[in-house]
Amino acid sequence: MATAKNARHHVVIGSGVSGSQAADTLREREPDARVTILTLSSLLFYNRYDLPKVFRGHRDWREFLAYPAEYYKDHRIEVRRCSRVAGVDGPRRTITLEHKEEIRFDTLLVASGGRGYLPEELAEFRPLMHPFASYTEAVTAASLVPDRGHVIMLGGDMIGLDLARTLIDTRHRVTLVAGAQTFWPHEVSDEERPGLIAALEKMGVEVIESHDAGGIATIEQGAKGLSARRVLFKDGTELHGDVVMPFFGLSPSVEFMLGSGTDIERGLLVNPALRTTCEGIYAAGDVCQIWSDAEKRYRFFYGWKNVRAMGDLAARNITGGDEPWVPAQDEKLHIGSDGKIQSPFWEYH
Amino acid sequence: MATDIQISIIGSAGDGTIAAGDILRNAFAGMGYKVISFDVYPPEIRGFGKCIARMRITTEQAYSLKHKSDVMVSLDDSHAIPHAGELRDCGAMIYEQGSIVRLPEGGHMSAHVGPGQLPYPLPIRELSEKSTGANRSRNIVVLGFIAGLFNLPAEGFRKAIGKKFRSKAAAAEASEAAFKAGLDYAAKTFKLDDVVFGPPVSSVVAGSTVEMINGNAAIVRGALDAGIDTFFGYPITPATSIMERLASEMPKRGGRLLQTEDEISAISAVVGAGFTGARAATSTSGPGLSLMAEMLGMGVIGEVPSVVFVSQRGGPSTGMPTKTEQSDLHMAVYGGHGDAPRIVIAPTNVDGCYRCGGKAFEMAEAYQTPVIVLIDLYLSNRYETVVFPARPPFEADMNRKPGKQAAAAPYKRYALTADHVSPRSVPGEKGGMHVVTGLEHNELGRPNDSAELHTAMSRKRHEKLKAALRHPDFTHFKRFGDEGPVDVGLVAWGSTFGECLEAMLKARGEGIRCAAMKVVMLSPFPTHGVSAFLADCKEVLVPELNYEGQFANLLQANVARQVTRLARVPGEPMKVEEILEEIRRLAGRGKSAQKAA
Repeated sequence: MATAKNARHHVVIGSGVSGSQAADTLREREPDARVTILTLSSLLFYNRYDLPKVFRGHRDWREFLAYPAEYYKDHRIEVRRCSRVAGVDGPRRTITLEHKEEIRFDTLLVASGGRGYLPEELAEFRPLMHPFASYTEAVTAASLVPDRGHVIMLGGDMIGLDLARTLIDTRHRVTLVAGAQTFWPHEVSDEERPGLIAALEKMGVEVIESHDAGGIATIEQGAKGLSARRVLFKDGTELHGDVVMPFFGLSPSVEFMLGSGTDIERGLLVNPALRTTCEGIYAAGDVCQIWSDAEKRYRFFYGWKNVRAMGDLAARNITGGDEPWVPAQDEKLHIGSDGKIQSPFWEYH
Repeated sequence: MATDIQISIIGSAGDGTIAAGDILRNAFAGMGYKVISFDVYPPEIRGFGKCIARMRITTEQAYSLKHKSDVMVSLDDSHAIPHAGELRDCGAMIYEQGSIVRLPEGGHMSAHVGPGQLPYPLPIRELSEKSTGANRSRNIVVLGFIAGLFNLPAEGFRKAIGKKFRSKAAAAEASEAAFKAGLDYAAKTFKLDDVVFGPPVSSVVAGSTVEMINGNAAIVRGALDAGIDTFFGYPITPATSIMERLASEMPKRGGRLLQTEDEISAISAVVGAGFTGARAATSTSGPGLSLMAEMLGMGVIGEVPSVVFVSQRGGPSTGMPTKTEQSDLHMAVYGGHGDAPRIVIAPTNVDGCYRCGGKAFEMAEAYQTPVIVLIDLYLSNRYETVVFPARPPFEADMNRKPGKQAAAAPYKRYALTADHVSPRSVPGEKGGMHVVTGLEHNELGRPNDSAELHTAMSRKRHEKLKAALRHPDFTHFKRFGDEGPVDVGLVAWGSTFGECLEAMLKARGEGIRCAAMKVVMLSPFPTHGVSAFLADCKEVLVPELNYEGQFANLLQANVARQVTRLARVPGEPMKVEEILEEIRRLAGRGKSAQKAA
């Protein structure tokens, strides 16, 4: 793509809500710059909050795209799909892709998000589970669940519970194996939890508290002619379902940033202007921990509105701004007047 | 559901690009699809030049390759990257996901997959090495992936692979393993593109056979079915495979083939063999045709049946040996000294190559003259599925025998007859003794240079060819598209006609009244039929692959009519879109017309 001579090259790692918003803002604020998005995805930016629609029969990926292909051409935003970053050299301002290609950048925004977290004790059962983090995973899972089929949901973070709402609405059966990550990323007190679990049950979700059943002993392929999956608890309780879907929150995707010259705790540490500890490198979205002067700690901010606002802010600060982060949404979980759970993380668009 | 899918495989010489294309087109043809295919390869025999195998797989008859492919495979990104834009939106881009060397920015295909295209990065090298112990089978891994991704019957692929490596057991075994590795990888791949193959449609008439064959092979088949018994030749790109195929086939049928020391010897021997009554031919390209010019004149004045297959390439001189062009038309029709009329026929597709390859021998005998079959690299190397009739449609003997009357009187080999064709004797026939000379001669064949005789003999040699315009069971020219008056009429010859036909059909789809005529008989020129067509056309467009418009020159020399020339020398087939744009302009439609206005 033609860019002006001496124009800066802004690279964004990640094509989710945060990265895509950043690319859009970068283009708007610096029309001559070269803007490149690096992403592992095969698809252009789609709204993962829309993914439950696959259980309503929407299976064509084009329905999920936030922008058509022409948008990227018109806005001169290069999107490098299926491109895994192997490493970043902050001082040299160089990214190395897994296929040994080097990319020079003037500024880098890391918006690589997070991948589904899976507790270590369940890792051995990963091949028997169906995650729901991408379009392809969503369609694959949906294709395995028949009409009125039974989904066994482990963990029950807010992404999973959002899917549960759709599954109930589409007359599927949902059993939640609840645990420490239920309602993640909301911080729920012991006092609040029983009421929220009851609200879930009122919504039609069957709930088994994992620790009440002694924890999961094993997950197996179901016997021929029966359900496809069997979950056995240590107290002998058994669950039979069509799929087992893990929802234990997100783990930031930062491993490629090791050795980059940036500070990393659980996520990339950034100041309120979203700058990392390496000059020219910024971070936004689920991957970064932002310093909070009020709380005197680095902390994550989740939710569609927050990550989009972070992408926008990072791009503004990359292009000459110096604004601090202000959360864009409430983080409180409510029980509505109808007795059902209402989460600000379910509000998008 | 109608299928119309184009696949391109792009790699470096040595990657097995052309071999993969060959297997793929045979697999599709074996499944019952119609296939048009054309390979591009570098002029260097050794080295790392670019190779491209393109094929269009259809259920309805197609006439050319498409401008954009539906599936593109890169076996070498350095060669494939410049072609990335030739993949349509929502099409599949298959490429090597890794690299064994450090790459500069933009040196990997992932940097060039357009936002509308779907990327399929594959560990091609790794799959080949794991399955076969070497990276040589990367091309076969890709075939397995294609079979799996598009849910195509693996058995059809396996059959085509087996055929390709039937004499190499180790290669066949490795290929099977590599194919399975690709197939298994596809099973784990989520399909995102919208490329879908519908079921093939069989339209084969009982008794006939369907074969995937290229232009040169079709020429050979036509020649063999017409009873060729003698061939002399000298190898030259892109005609070499004609001689190679005949070298393996002719001995099985009792024929003779000799590689001569050069093209002059080859044509001399062909004329000599024709004199003895053999069905003889040679094959060459532009540079060889230049060398043959003198002896072609000998064939004309001696009235000796002889056939020359000419496959054109980019010229002049050595020019562009592996690029296509239609720039030897002047040479074929006019090349040579003196008034030396000859028959020149130019098929427009692979099926036409078969028919012209056989009919050339009929015409050479019927009109006692050299016949040039003029094709080009595009047609020589273009593969199509061709339906061959149960019985070859060629006459075994078109000679006009001297008969008993000749035995009583002095035999007049060059007797002036009403239709200008003389009874023909071959050496050894009783009462048929005569002289054949390059000198002008009388009816007995004896040298004579009187003005009257030279005029009479010149007239004879010209006039007898007119009957070729009515040669039976031969398509001299043919009109397609709208009947009656049209806004734009295309007139084309040779390989370019396929693109013209596609463009004409698209133009009609846009509501432009349009028709196209293919002209197969270039010399003598079918003036009457072409004139009738041109009379229907408000505008006439002549697309062809040479610089000055040689066919347009020929057309205008025979028909007084202004035409618009679309003459290009890209070294590759003309683009349908380019022709279509010109049709729109002439019809007063589209952007170009508005710009011109």
